[in-house]
Amino acid sequence: MTGYLLRRIGGVLVVMLLVTAVAYLVFFLLPSDPARLSCGKPCTPDRLAQVRALLGYNHSVPVQYLDYLRGIVLGRSYGSGAASLHCPAPCFGYSFPQGRPVTALIADRFPVTLSIAVGAALLWLVTGVLAGLVCALYRDSWLDRLVTVGALGGVSAPTFLVGLVGILVFGFRFNMLPVNGYVAFTDDPAQWAFHLILPWCTLAFVFAAIYARLTRTQVLEVLSEDYIAMARAKGLSRRRVFVHHALRAGLTPVLTLFALDLGGLLGGAVITEKVFGMQGLGALLIDAVASSDLPVVVGCTVFAGLLIVLANLAVDLLYGYLDPRVTS
Amino acid sequence: MRRTVLVGAVAALIAASVSGCHANNKSAGPAQAKAKAGGELDVLSPSPTINLDPAKSQNLATSTIHLVLRSLTTWQESATEAPTVVPDLATDTGRVSNGGKTWTYTLKPGLKYADGSPIVAADIKYGLERSFAAQLSGGLAYHKSLLVGGDSYQGPFDGKQLDSIQTPDDRTIVFQLNKSSGDWPWIASMPAFAPVPKKDENIQHYGDNPMASGPYQVSSLKQGSTLVLKRNPHWDRGTDPVRTAQPDTIVYTMGLDPTVINQRLIADQGKDRNAVSSADVPAALLPKVLGDPSVAQRLATSPSGALSYLAINVTRPPLNNLLVRQALEYAVNKKAVQVAAGGAKIGGELASTLITPGIPGYQSYDRYPADPTGDVAKAKSLLSQAGHASGLSLTLLTQNDSISLSEAQAVQSGLTAAGINVRLKPEDSDSFYADAGASKGNFDLALLGWLPDYPSATGNIEPLFDSSQIGNGNFNCSHYSNPAVDKLIAQASAETDQATAQALWGQADRMIMADAPVVPLLYARNAFLRGSAVANFFAPPYPPYADMLVVGLAG
Repeated sequence: MTGYLLRRIGGVLVVMLLVTAVAYLVFFLLPSDPARLSCGKPCTPDRLAQVRALLGYNHSVPVQYLDYLRGIVLGRSYGSGAASLHCPAPCFGYSFPQGRPVTALIADRFPVTLSIAVGAALLWLVTGVLAGLVCALYRDSWLDRLVTVGALGGVSAPTFLVGLVGILVFGFRFNMLPVNGYVAFTDDPAQWAFHLILPWCTLAFVFAAIYARLTRTQVLEVLSEDYIAMARAKGLSRRRVFVHHALRAGLTPVLTLFALDLGGLLGGAVITEKVFGMQGLGALLIDAVASSDLPVVVGCTVFAGLLIVLANLAVDLLYGYLDPRVTS
Repeated sequence: MRRTVLVGAVAALIAASVSGCHANNKSAGPAQAKAKAGGELDVLSPSPTINLDPAKSQNLATSTIHLVLRSLTTWQESATEAPTVVPDLATDTGRVSNGGKTWTYTLKPGLKYADGSPIVAADIKYGLERSFAAQLSGGLAYHKSLLVGGDSYQGPFDGKQLDSIQTPDDRTIVFQLNKSSGDWPWIASMPAFAPVPKKDENIQHYGDNPMASGPYQVSSLKQGSTLVLKRNPHWDRGTDPVRTAQPDTIVYTMGLDPTVINQRLIADQGKDRNAVSSADVPAALLPKVLGDPSVAQRLATSPSGALSYLAINVTRPPLNNLLVRQALEYAVNKKAVQVAAGGAKIGGELASTLITPGIPGYQSYDRYPADPTGDVAKAKSLLSQAGHASGLSLTLLTQNDSISLSEAQAVQSGLTAAGINVRLKPEDSDSFYADAGASKGNFDLALLGWLPDYPSATGNIEPLFDSSQIGNGNFNCSHYSNPAVDKLIAQASAETDQATAQALWGQADRMIMADAPVVPLLYARNAFLRGSAVANFFAPPYPPYADMLVVGLAG
C-alpha cells in the first residue's frame, strides 16, 4: 500500500508541473498584453517598459517560468526598495489591477465556492442515489418511468436556464428566496443557508439527474449478477441481499464519480456563481478572463488543476482500500 | 471606449423633474431636486471590483470614487447641457501664466480629512508623485507627460521628488508644464489630483481605505462583495459646489448579474426602492421597461454619449482615394445601424460630427448630408468617378458581441446596395483591439466606439486623428496622418482661452471630416434604472453615466 501511495503522489507532482507549464503558456499565446492593462491611459512606450520590468515580463520565457515556480515554493517580490510588492509563498501570481496576490484572492473566494459545492454535492448525492435506488427496486413501474423522464429533463437543462428560472419564479414571482448575494457562515449561518438554497437546488437538479440514471444502471447490473441469485437461493432475505451485497458493489463507481465531480466543482461553479452574484472561484476566473488579468487566470487554473488532481488521488486511494487487487 | 445599450425613454420627463439643476453654471450651492437628507442609498453594480486608490483609478469625476475623494477641480453636470469645470478643493479653476505652461492653484481654507487633520498642498503633490511609481500605475496618466520631468520620473518611493510641482506654502500649488495646455483645469479634476498625506503607507492596501477628502469615507470594504460608505464629519458642505451628499450611508454591492440587477429594479420591492443600477438595461428587458409607464419613468437615459463610428483604413487601396471614402460616407445606411442598436430613443441619434453633443464646443453640422438611409445614387456616382463603377470588396472588422454584430450587419447590408461587397470579420474583444490598433492594419473598415475621458474636444479628436497615435495599440485606427491637422491639434490643445480653443477644435472637426477617414454613425446612449424612492438620478449628455455626486433619496 505504501508503494502504491508513493507512486500516486509522485504522479501528482508530475501532473502539477505539467499543468503549471501549460497554464503559464497563456501569457504568451493570447493577444492581450497584461502589462498594457496596468500601463495607464494614455500609455506611452516608456511607461509600458517600466511596468513590464516591474512584473518581470522583460525576461525570456524560461526565466519567467522558473521565477513563477520559485514563487510558488519560496514567495516573490515585485520591484525593489521601500515600495516593493510582496507575494508570500505559495505565490501563484500577483494581480496588479486588484493589487493583491492571487493566493489571497483564492483564499477569499474559496469559502464561497466550498459552500456552494459541498452543499449541492450532498443534496444531489442523496436525492440522486435515492431516486436511482427506488427506480432499480421498482423497475418499470410508473415511479421508475416518472423519475427517468425527470432525470432526462435535468440532464438536458442548462445550468444558467435553471438558475434564472429559479430566480424568476421563487425570487421575483413568489418572493420566497433571495435572488442573489452571499452571506458568510461566520456572519449569519441561517442567512448563509437561506441564500444558498437556490444555488444548491440549481446545481443539484442537473447533477442528481445524472446520478439517478447512473445509480439505477449500476444497481440493476449488480442485481443481475450470479452471486446475487446465489445469495437469494441460499435463503438470505431480499433486504439483506440488497443492502449488504448489491449496494456496496453498485455504489462504488457512483462514489468515485462523486469524488471527481466534487473536486471539479470546488475549482469553481462558474455559471452558478455568476447567475447568483456570488464571488467564488468561478466568478474570479471569468472576471479575470474578461478583464485580461492573466496572473489570476493562470493562478485559478493551476489551483483548479490541483483540486482535480487531489480528487483523483483520493479516488485512487479509495479504490486501493475498497479493492485490494488494485494495490498489489 | 465603452459601448452598449441603447434605450430611450421618457428622458423628457426625467429632464423636467431636474430642470432646476441645469441653469446653475455659476451657483454656489448644489442644485436640489426632490432629494432629502438621510437614508441608505444602494448601488447595484456588475463590476467585480472597485478601485479607490487615486493613483490607479481611471474613473470619471462623477463616479463613486469622488464621493470619497476630492480633486482640485470637478465637473458641474446637468441633465441636458455640456458640463463645466468648477473648483473643488481649489478656490478657482487655475490661474495660468507663462504662455499656458504654468498653472497656479490655491486651496480653500480649513479643509480637513476624515480624521480631522488638515489638507495641505504638499498632499496633492505627494498624491501626484506616487501616481508615477510603476507599482501604482494603471490610472489616468494625462498629467504624466505634461509635467516637466514627468517622462523620466519614477515616483517618490526611492526618495526623489518631482520638482515641476511646487508648493511654496500649505495652500498654494504650482504646476510647471513642458508645453501650454488649455485642458489643464479638466486634467486637475482627475483622481490622481486627490490629496494623499505623506506617511508610511501600505501601498498595496491604500485603496482599501484612502484618506477621505469628500463627503463620505470608507466604513468597510469587502473587495468583490460590498463597499459601505459613511459620512465624513469633517467635509465642509459650504466648500463643495457640486456634491449634495444627502444619504447618510451608501452601500455599493459588486459582482451582480446585470439581468438580475435590472429585474430587481423593475420589481422595485423592499430595499430595492432605495437602489440604483450601474448596469445598462439589457436589450432583452427593454420592452418590459418601456412598456410599463411606472417603470419607464424610473429610467434615466443619457441624451448623448460615445461616438459609434466606422474607421476607414486610409492606407489600404482603394480606400486611399478620397472619392472612395466620400462614397462610403454617402453609402452607409445609418438608419439601419440605429435600428440594429435599438432605435433613436434606445440606440442614439444619428451622428455626423466627430465632437459629440455634451462636449463643450460641439456644433451640429453634416459634411455629407443625405437621407438617414443613405444616398446610394451619390455614392455610386462618386465610385464611378473614382474608377470603381463595378463596385468594391472590403473587410469589416468588428467585435463579436451581439450588438456589435447586428450593427456590423446593418452596415454591410447598407453598403451592398451601393455595390460595395463587405465581408465581416468578427473577433473577441482582445483580438479585436490588438488588430484594430496594430501598426500594420490588416483591415479595410472597423466598427468602433469612443468616449473621451474628460469633457474636452481634445478627447474626441487627438487620440483618433493625431498621427502620433497610429499603431502600437493606440486608437488612430484609420491610420490618418495629416500634418495640417496635427498642427491644428497642437494649437487647439495649447490654447488656454476656452472659446478660442473650442472654435479651433470645431475647425479640426470639419477639416478631418473633409478627408473622410471615418464615418460617424451614432451618438450612443446609455440608460439606467432607479428605485422609486431615489431622487435626482440622471445621466447627463457627458459622461453618459449617472452622476453619483448628486443622487439622494426622496423624503
